[in-house]
Amino acid sequence: MTPDEGQKVYNLTYPELLANRPVELDFAGVEIFASPFFNFAIGQLLRDIPPDTLNRLLKFSNLNSVGRQVLKRVIENSKQYYSNENTRKAVDEVVSEQANSL
Amino acid sequence: MSITLNIPTVNDELEDFNTLFQLWQQVGESCSNVTFDFSKCVFLKPNAVAFLGGLIRFIQSREGKTTINKDTLNKKVKMNLQQNGFMYTFCEDKEPWQGNSVPYREDAKQDKDGLVYYLAEQWLGRGWVHMDQNLRNVIVGRVWEIYANAFEHGRTDIGVFSCGQHYPKLNQLKLTVVDFGVGIPSNVRQFQNKPTLPVDKALEWAFQAGTSTRQGGVAGGVGLDYLKKFVKINRGKLEFFSQDGYVAIDENQEIYQNRQTFFQGTLVNITLQCEEALYILASDADDEEPLF
Repeated sequence: MTPDEGQKVYNLTYPELLANRPVELDFAGVEIFASPFFNFAIGQLLRDIPPDTLNRLLKFSNLNSVGRQVLKRVIENSKQYYSNENTRKAVDEVVSEQANSL
Repeated sequence: MSITLNIPTVNDELEDFNTLFQLWQQVGESCSNVTFDFSKCVFLKPNAVAFLGGLIRFIQSREGKTTINKDTLNKKVKMNLQQNGFMYTFCEDKEPWQGNSVPYREDAKQDKDGLVYYLAEQWLGRGWVHMDQNLRNVIVGRVWEIYANAFEHGRTDIGVFSCGQHYPKLNQLKLTVVDFGVGIPSNVRQFQNKPTLPVDKALEWAFQAGTSTRQGGVAGGVGLDYLKKFVKINRGKLEFFSQDGYVAIDENQEIYQNRQTFFQGTLVNITLQCEEALYILASDADDEEPLF
């Protein structure tokens, strides 16, 4: 449920996914879900891994409907957040390059 | 400096929260010795119990000494404070017992499992409202996010304080969660680099879906939105008091306001209705759809 727990999951899954290896996350026995965990465990992946890749490589098993609902909401939110961040960074880079060339 | 705080009767109307915050203001930064006098108190709702517990720890964290003048407690108030464990925490050996109270609780550090047990068993699991396990887990997850926010964003030195109550005649369940941290408006102003942002605008921003003052490049801002939606479906009420700001959310309204009485931290007051029909678990997640 906590950010720290989510970060641990991210630290394990991110390198595997970057290496194009599949990952399965098993939520058997997990009954209570909170967005901070999913923000850190899963939402962060969208920073630099495309959604299609995540759909292909990342599987969730034994995730009940409640967990799926929270996860889906976190993913929608994270997609928006990281697309804005990427846009901002891209703009910043261009502006910086232009400034250097003057 | 020594002072006596005269604790009046405290309900949970807006003016009662003013009363609580004025007590905090009386303490200030330099009180070394504070006595709590309950001579004028005939009733204390759980918001007051949570707040007073936090206030005591606040004073103690600044190396102040606190005394509860037990002789000034009337019989009913004393029994309520014994039942919910407040007296056991601060000044008596008499252990709390089960009744309509949800225990007074202090969390100096985030205790995830302890909080889940508190919410699931001691608040929701007492048979006052019938709901299936799935729904109980949903509510626990939502309300737990308030504690998560307090620990992540509140920057509190002394932790988080809670107390609740079941009101059978009103068919209501209440829970108050309070921290003496930095407050939501300050966080928002700092995050947005807008030191003069009006408090109502700061709060309105904080309660939008997808907004968060979390640093470090990780998205946030989902938890409060979920809780808002749940409270509206339940016909309950969610109130936040933070610095000089106030938020009230129920099925009919979302209010973001400035208030006159300042409290540095954040107090959350949750009211849920106990009618079974108002606990609807709707899932909008299609299992067949890709998640990303």
